[in-house]
Amino acid sequence: MSAPAVLKTPKKVRSRLAGISPWLVFQVAWRAILGNPLRSVLTTLGVIIGVAAVVALTMVGRGSTANITRTLQSLGTNLLTIGSAAGPRGGGFGLVRFGGPQTVTLADAEAIRLEFEGRIVGIAPTLQGNQQIKVGAANMNATVIGTWPDYASVRNAQPAQGSFFSEADLQARRRVAVIGYGIAQDLFGGQDPIGQTLRIAGLSFTVVGVLPDKGDSGFASPNYQVMVPLSTYLQRLARSSTGEPRVNAIYIQGPDKDSLPQLQEALTEFMAARRKMTDPSQYDFSVQNQADALASVNQVTQTMTLFLGGVAGISLLVGGIGIMNIMLVSVTERTREIGIRKALGAKPRDILTQFLVESVVLSVGGGILGIFLGLALAGSVGQFLRITPIFDPFSVVLAFVFSVAVGVFFGYYPAARAARLDPVESLRYE
Amino acid sequence: MTVVALEGIRKVYKSGALEFEALKGISLEIRQGEMVALMGPSGSGKTTLMQIIGLLDRPTQGTYHLAGQDVTTLSENQRAEVRNQEIGFVFQAFHLLPRLNVLENVEVPMIYAGVPAEERRQRAMEVLQKVGLGDKWRNLPSQLSGGQKQRVAVARALSMRPSILLADEPTGNLDSKTAAEVMRLFQELNDEGTCVIVVTHEHDIADYCGRIVRIRDGQIEADGPNPGRKRAVGGLA
Ligand SMILES: Nc1ncnc2c1ncn2[C@@H]1O[C@H](COP(=O)(O)OP(=O)(O)OP(=O)(O)O)[C@@H](O)[C@H]1O
Ligand SMILES: [Mg+2]
Repeated sequence: MSAPAVLKTPKKVRSRLAGISPWLVFQVAWRAILGNPLRSVLTTLGVIIGVAAVVALTMVGRGSTANITRTLQSLGTNLLTIGSAAGPRGGGFGLVRFGGPQTVTLADAEAIRLEFEGRIVGIAPTLQGNQQIKVGAANMNATVIGTWPDYASVRNAQPAQGSFFSEADLQARRRVAVIGYGIAQDLFGGQDPIGQTLRIAGLSFTVVGVLPDKGDSGFASPNYQVMVPLSTYLQRLARSSTGEPRVNAIYIQGPDKDSLPQLQEALTEFMAARRKMTDPSQYDFSVQNQADALASVNQVTQTMTLFLGGVAGISLLVGGIGIMNIMLVSVTERTREIGIRKALGAKPRDILTQFLVESVVLSVGGGILGIFLGLALAGSVGQFLRITPIFDPFSVVLAFVFSVAVGVFFGYYPAARAARLDPVESLRYE
Repeated sequence: MTVVALEGIRKVYKSGALEFEALKGISLEIRQGEMVALMGPSGSGKTTLMQIIGLLDRPTQGTYHLAGQDVTTLSENQRAEVRNQEIGFVFQAFHLLPRLNVLENVEVPMIYAGVPAEERRQRAMEVLQKVGLGDKWRNLPSQLSGGQKQRVAVARALSMRPSILLADEPTGNLDSKTAAEVMRLFQELNDEGTCVIVVTHEHDIADYCGRIVRIRDGQIEADGPNPGRKRAVGGLA
């Protein structure tokens, strides 16, 4: 430093050792912000909304992904599904297509059972429909599924009480039923349903098993399903049709995850050979791997994450421009203050820091408000959609880091402008 | 010892194609312990000259030595430090920071000097007591009278114990009684050895000073001692 040395008499205290404490700089910024609270909040609204949207949507998104994954996994592990696909339109997104022409037959299932003996753990074709079910005077509508005993292991449907129907029940076309937890609760009240009579479409069935509570996954909840032997179903409940009996789907359980792709290919070849089809685009069936469905869920999640990133980017950009705008106004309004501070010895850097800290405090304040708003929003949206939102610390940290970056980036230009102001002109500013 | 030495100072204001020469070659020396009144008609260049002496503005031409050192070549940061350490400003419009209370206003120069908080507070209270406002330290500027505001401004200018006090029409917004109080304060500081330069239109005010410099149209018209120098009497209200 080159202040005239002669003037430095010992009585003077000149230490810039300490520098200006960050706490003091923060206080000055905080007071400037509190000096105009409404304007400050409106300024940061862009950042608040942006951060809140990202935090809330990420949490709800992760919650619903976890939900879907859990549901898919609860429907059975190492699962392959053969369903109908109408020629070129085939393929598709879901596990099973209902409606449309059914092209998979019971004979297909029987052939696979013979051919793939030893290579698969279980196989269960299903045919299902909505039926009225009755216990005494109580009645309701439920999905009735005709299937094979392997269904219990293949679709993860081991009864909690009683047992699943047996191969002998299937052979003898017995009128026995395994019922979901919800049906047991609703139609039998507190009583033990095992051995009781249940009427399906007017026919009496004996309840042999009750499934455990599978949770309420909304549409097509396993809690409101009734499983009966497929043979019984075909004879008693299916709409009479001519020719080969058709099924909605064939569920096949592989021995382990790694063998699934191979098994999937073998099954496709086998099904095609049975139909004497050679052109895959003409196949009237599809063999789907559960992993494919999980992958498509992940795909959706990824798309959503990208989309959220876009929303975050745009709202933070808008929020940043809002902050920049108000900081420019603030610099103009405080031109005289800047002049006074410079006359009293503030360096350009001191002024720059002051305004930069102010804009960072504004945007970080907005970010923090946004995080809390986002948490609250996730809670209420989750409640509305019956999803448990999953807290994502990463998105919160990211939101915070981004709001700091926005404050620095968009605050720099106004702050630099303040720092460059000429003291004489600023003091004269009216 | 010479504190301020100006040599052939010119200041030309340019706005677009228009040029205006506000100072037309000013040479002036001010020695330690002097109390100088700068007088002249409106538009003669008094404020311009004060801004150059106070290192707020740079001359278009000429040299300026402050305590023997050439300050015309200093960088922006160095000039800020010299303003902070050596120069105290008092303005006609007070120029207090409206959001800060009296004590905090007085602390501002010490903040930029990096004086630790404890010492800052203590010294601010000291100078406030000196200007007779020790009991008003919590007030906001808007809760003070004009004379009190100017005394806070003086306290702020004194807080870094500057070598020169520059006051541009410090009594312009004050009645004659409060004006006398402020001038008495300046005389006290001057007695302690601080160089004081006061810009004024009023002879009454100029009479408190030991030397009167008159400028007209950017040039020094007259410069000499003030034989009829007044001493302020009476205490501060
Ligand atoms: N930034 C500027 N641009 C152009 N001209 C200026 C500028 N600042 C001052 N001037 C001119 O320079 C001249 C001197 O101005 P200055 O403010 O120094 O006068 P003054 O002696 O302080 O007057 P007063 O007693 O009214 O305060 C005036 O004619 C003014 O119009
Ligand atoms: Mg003036």
